[in-house]
Amino acid sequence: MDSYFYLVIVAGLIAGASTGLLGVYIVGMRIPFIGTCISHAAMAGFIYGSFLTFENATLTAVSPVLGGITASVMAALSLAAIRPDKTRMDTNVGLAIVFCLMLGLTFLGIGLNQGSRSEMLGLLWGNILFTDRSGTITIAVMALVLVLFSHVFNKELKVLLFSRSIAAATGIHERFVYGLFLILCGIILAVNLPLVGGLMIFSLVTCPAAAAYRICTGHKSVVITATIFGMLSALIGFLVSYYLNLPTGACIVIVSATIFGLSAVYRAIRSGAD
Amino acid sequence: MIGSSLSLSGVEVKRGSRAVLNIKNLQIPSGAFVGIVGTNGAGKTTLLKICSGLIKPNRGTIKFDNRDLSKLSCWSKSNLRKHIGYIPQAIEYNSELPFTLREVVTMGQISAKPLLTHLKKQDYLIVDDWINKLGLAGLSNQTFRTLSGGEQQKTLIARAMAQEPTILMLDEPCSNLDFNWKYQITEIIDQLYRQTNITILMVSHDTNLLPPSCGRIVLLHEGNLLADGDAEDVFASNALETAYQCRIEMLNIGGRRYAINKKQTLEP
Repeated sequence: MDSYFYLVIVAGLIAGASTGLLGVYIVGMRIPFIGTCISHAAMAGFIYGSFLTFENATLTAVSPVLGGITASVMAALSLAAIRPDKTRMDTNVGLAIVFCLMLGLTFLGIGLNQGSRSEMLGLLWGNILFTDRSGTITIAVMALVLVLFSHVFNKELKVLLFSRSIAAATGIHERFVYGLFLILCGIILAVNLPLVGGLMIFSLVTCPAAAAYRICTGHKSVVITATIFGMLSALIGFLVSYYLNLPTGACIVIVSATIFGLSAVYRAIRSGAD
Repeated sequence: MIGSSLSLSGVEVKRGSRAVLNIKNLQIPSGAFVGIVGTNGAGKTTLLKICSGLIKPNRGTIKFDNRDLSKLSCWSKSNLRKHIGYIPQAIEYNSELPFTLREVVTMGQISAKPLLTHLKKQDYLIVDDWINKLGLAGLSNQTFRTLSGGEQQKTLIARAMAQEPTILMLDEPCSNLDFNWKYQITEIIDQLYRQTNITILMVSHDTNLLPPSCGRIVLLHEGNLLADGDAEDVFASNALETAYQCRIEMLNIGGRRYAINKKQTLEP
């Protein structure tokens, strides 16, 4: 392995850790579909952002990323409109509607695009092998912001996970914390999208956290275990794909699902022993 | 502890064109134990939610400790709710997460604290105190999801009390429990009220679940206040029969009021 592959491994570990940690809240709040919903919003934003050209070359270069972040934050915040105390619509139904809209906008954008469609469709799968130093730094910074956020609002997030209704009724400032979480969710999923891809990000958000929830006792151990499972999914997936010459994204998805399977088996054995 | 007071005047809540709650005047003084009774869809939960400022009425004034909720910002209303101990219906919380019983009770102290602060040692002493008071010490490190329905409900009561509230709002706290647990939970609520004298609003469509210390009944029917007064007077009147649309006989056994549907009683 040359030094470039170490960069890929570092990028994969960071992406796995941040999506694993994010998954603790997403899975805990029973909104796993948000991963695929926001990633499609980010894809639509990337595509429409790439249509924009500016005199400043740097601005033209970053406009797809900015478009992706803007669209995913807007999609995430639209979910904040579904209030737990005025439930006439389930959050997952809201997610499905936003997802459908974003999927439509994505394929409309691909249809309108005169350039390479394979590059656009590549966002669906992502490509960890195309990572560069600046991309790795960006996801590392956002991973740190997520760690900081989950530390600062740790106590409020716990109540939100347990019940948004209780949080709202007992003065947790639930709208503020939930809104901040959704914004962060949108940005993190958008910056990880080119690396991880719209479809794979769904598995990295869902499987490590769901596995941790199966086997852990206490919130702190769930947070640590999900983060480690996310990192392991990315690392083992990458190494398997490298040595067996298989598609990287597919290997990471299969490894993360396998970790969930093993956790479910472990819990079943432990429950049987009890 | 000093209980909170509530004052509602000319309150109307509409869903579409239909009024789901219409209350001309309702005064709840500090330290009262009020049972909110009515059939399904009578507006009981809506009444709790407007009292806590979670739902804005279409018109009317609600005062919480003499503070007009309509004049408070979203942030201030949220701060005011730090005084509300809330026990929701089972459907409203995620019991599948691996939180320990102590973590769930700690959430009460979390609600009482401002943002950007961490809990201190004395806060955990309050948490452990309520765990002990409710006889849950032996289960402290067990996950919430492995507890029985009754133990979960006791945990939620400990959580609400660890918040050190001035008002306790209970929304059908005994739903999904067997009759022995229903009795135990209402006994706990009874003791809490006698020991603390905080204000309690307890929603129930079953009159026998209201503890003996519940001295006042607010009877709702199709969103309207059908009766409001001393529990014995309300149950002695025919208001309950009007609300439930059946002949009712009230039995008082050990301070608990059992409403018997006469049509279902066996003829001698």
